[in-house]
Amino acid sequence: MKTRAIWRPIVITLFLLFMIVPVIATFMFSISTRWDRTLWPEGFTLDWWKAVTSHSAFGLTLKNSFLASFATMFCLLILVTPTTYWMKLRVPKAKPFVELLTTFSFGVPGVVLALALIRFYSKIPLPIINHPAILIAACMVLSLPFMYRPVLNALDAIDFRVLTECAESLGANGWYTLVRVIIPNIMPGIISGCLLVFSTVFSEFTLTNLLVGTRFKTFPIYLVEFTRQDGRQASALAVISFLAAWVTSLLIIWVTSKGGRETTHISRQ
Amino acid sequence: MTINTSRLQKSTKPAISWIAWLGLVPFFIFGLAFEFLPILTTIRSSFTKDGLFTLEFYRQAMEPLFLRSFATTFKISATTAFLGMIFGTLVAYAIITTRNKFVQNLLTALSDVTTNFGGAPLAFAFIVILGSTGIITLLLKEVGIQLYPHFRIYSASGLTIAYLYFQLPLMILLIIPSLHGLKREWHEAALNLGASTYQYWIRVALPILFPSLASGFLLLFANSFGAYATAWTLTGSDVDLITIRIAALIRGEVQLAPELADALSIISLLIMITCVLGYNWLSNRAIRATTK
Repeated sequence: MKTRAIWRPIVITLFLLFMIVPVIATFMFSISTRWDRTLWPEGFTLDWWKAVTSHSAFGLTLKNSFLASFATMFCLLILVTPTTYWMKLRVPKAKPFVELLTTFSFGVPGVVLALALIRFYSKIPLPIINHPAILIAACMVLSLPFMYRPVLNALDAIDFRVLTECAESLGANGWYTLVRVIIPNIMPGIISGCLLVFSTVFSEFTLTNLLVGTRFKTFPIYLVEFTRQDGRQASALAVISFLAAWVTSLLIIWVTSKGGRETTHISRQ
Repeated sequence: MTINTSRLQKSTKPAISWIAWLGLVPFFIFGLAFEFLPILTTIRSSFTKDGLFTLEFYRQAMEPLFLRSFATTFKISATTAFLGMIFGTLVAYAIITTRNKFVQNLLTALSDVTTNFGGAPLAFAFIVILGSTGIITLLLKEVGIQLYPHFRIYSASGLTIAYLYFQLPLMILLIIPSLHGLKREWHEAALNLGASTYQYWIRVALPILFPSLASGFLLLFANSFGAYATAWTLTGSDVDLITIRIAALIRGEVQLAPELADALSIISLLIMITCVLGYNWLSNRAIRATTK
């Protein structure tokens, strides 16, 4: 029995090391004076961080990434929430079609989506080629499932039909019901959807690189540029990306666990 | 549940179904404009030359140059999917059989977070640890193992290691529900009937887990097949992946007919869709714990 139990800590430790060492090492590298000849950094410094944050492109690309993330989040919110609610309430038959559109990005590689958008929009006279707008649209396609799923699950968890009927019998119209009754009740789903969209778009590289290139530089584009120029400063940027991903993911875990508790609370009532 | 709601619906809302569909029009317009029409245009143009139907671009896409890219992509995807499947299942089994709840939750959360990692930061992190002066490289040198020049992080094998960073957690998340579905009684029953634990795994557990393992493999394969950012940051165009070829054609780095890029894209798309459909089909057949 004892011999059998020993494999478990070994497997778990190796897994933890594999997942954590790259992140820790990148962080250490970003605060080391030199770390390419010795096992331990030769000294510590904040110079690379100071240098990389002092470039004007740093603030600009960070701003662009936030802009793209929030624009995608906002557009998806307006598109997906009413659609999902309406579908569940009035047109359940449409579910397969809606799901086909929302899971589109699982089957289509980023480069193929980028190519298809370029080929289509360079043929029709709509001036969105090379414009951030096409990037937002592509990011919406990419992150559609991440908004749709949590909203759908949240709607499943509440008695949206009864809530709607109550609101309507009290004289509320459709929009009022959605905004004032349904949305507050599915807030945990909406928030975790928004966070998932945020973390997807914030780290998006493929579509940005191919659709808008250098015309609208985002943070990941900036990072890739630096990996080819200056490894030390790139490591600081990589740490920021890791940090952003970790913080949003932990927020998602926190929100969903909180959401779960709330829904059980409601159903018990 | 479904009977319930449909009855409710009938009682409260009379049949106005086609008007109700109008509410979904904005969403369908979005899907048409940014998903289906672009893909259909690409399909059509991959079959068209000077306004006439042609298979020429598919013939070009089948030339040795591109077949080699497909082969490399297949090899890397299959390797990372296979290793991800084996090690992911092993780690997942370690996670669910751990009695410590805290460790269980921590590792599941870690998998949740890291499966979405990828792209430039990940590629860079692997350069830091496994590059020619990376810390693991130095550490191994210290104990007498010379990684370079036999191994390079900027190569296919380096890329495989980097991909495992997001493949492993994905497999863990996919397989945990199925592992929970393996009942302890089955193991005990097998042992009571005289089987060894090894026999239990080979003859009972693995056949039951097969659909889950295979569906996980397919999803991991697709995940790696469509990946671009990590590979491009890590290896530039050194590793000859099909996504890297298509991207080079889009950026116009290579002077070739754009329709060739269309044909390559459509072939990649078909491979991806096959994997995703296979994943769906198999995962519907996979066992899952009914209660966690």
